[in-house]
Amino acid sequence: MATKIVSKEYKRVDLVEISGRIDSSTAPQLEQTLNKVIKDGRFHIVVDMADMDFMSSAGLRALLSALKQVRRFNRGDLRLAAMSSKVKKAFELAGLLDVFQVFDNSVDAVGSF
Amino acid sequence: MSQKFRIARAAELESLGVLRDFIHDQCARAGIDDATTYELKLAADEACTNIITHGYAQMNPGSLILDLEIDAHQVVLRITDFGHPFEPSEPIAPDVQAALDDQPTSGFGLFFIYSVMDAVDYRATEEGNCLMLTKRRAPKVVPV
Repeated sequence: MATKIVSKEYKRVDLVEISGRIDSSTAPQLEQTLNKVIKDGRFHIVVDMADMDFMSSAGLRALLSALKQVRRFNRGDLRLAAMSSKVKKAFELAGLLDVFQVFDNSVDAVGSF
Repeated sequence: MSQKFRIARAAELESLGVLRDFIHDQCARAGIDDATTYELKLAADEACTNIITHGYAQMNPGSLILDLEIDAHQVVLRITDFGHPFEPSEPIAPDVQAALDDQPTSGFGLFFIYSVMDAVDYRATEEGNCLMLTKRRAPKVVPV
């Protein structure tokens, strides 16, 4: 499955949907998408992983970097939705489940803001 | 009796998907469970990324050869390259708080390799550098 990253702007939240795989060759695409949302002054972000089947450490770094930017000055947050159990294990190993708020689905994550 | 499979690709980041697909397909054919297969793909991806970005740094991209050997008890993945030797040493857990406090965010890749594999071995010889990743197979659940 080719990697596709789409961002959708809602009233209070931006939803970034990932389908496919995030590795070192596709993580720059994720970084660019998140950076554009942040540059537009939008700091409430949900990343929907429902259709994402792989994420390496390159993806984790992109998410951490965006998290760092949106939380600056307490201006927002980046929350994760619909993470598969395999991806969740990698987050758990890296200690990232304590850092990100994770929701079962994007509706709950969007509603949490 | 073991089953052996091999793939060779250019050491470029664009090859990572093909290499993971190779592991996925051969593991599925051999009946390896999904969680074990995912961990093999994750470790292989991180190791190959290190080889591509560090091992072959300032060199023309050479080859990456993956040899997968599956038997009843374990899966062994050997990754051979011909770049600069780059021995992965066992890392400490990445400091996530430091990453959030504007420190460089690195160390996750090696940490994942050592966390999800049962054994990691590295040899640099005249025939190339070989990283050997071993993962024990999950025991089959027999219905009672």
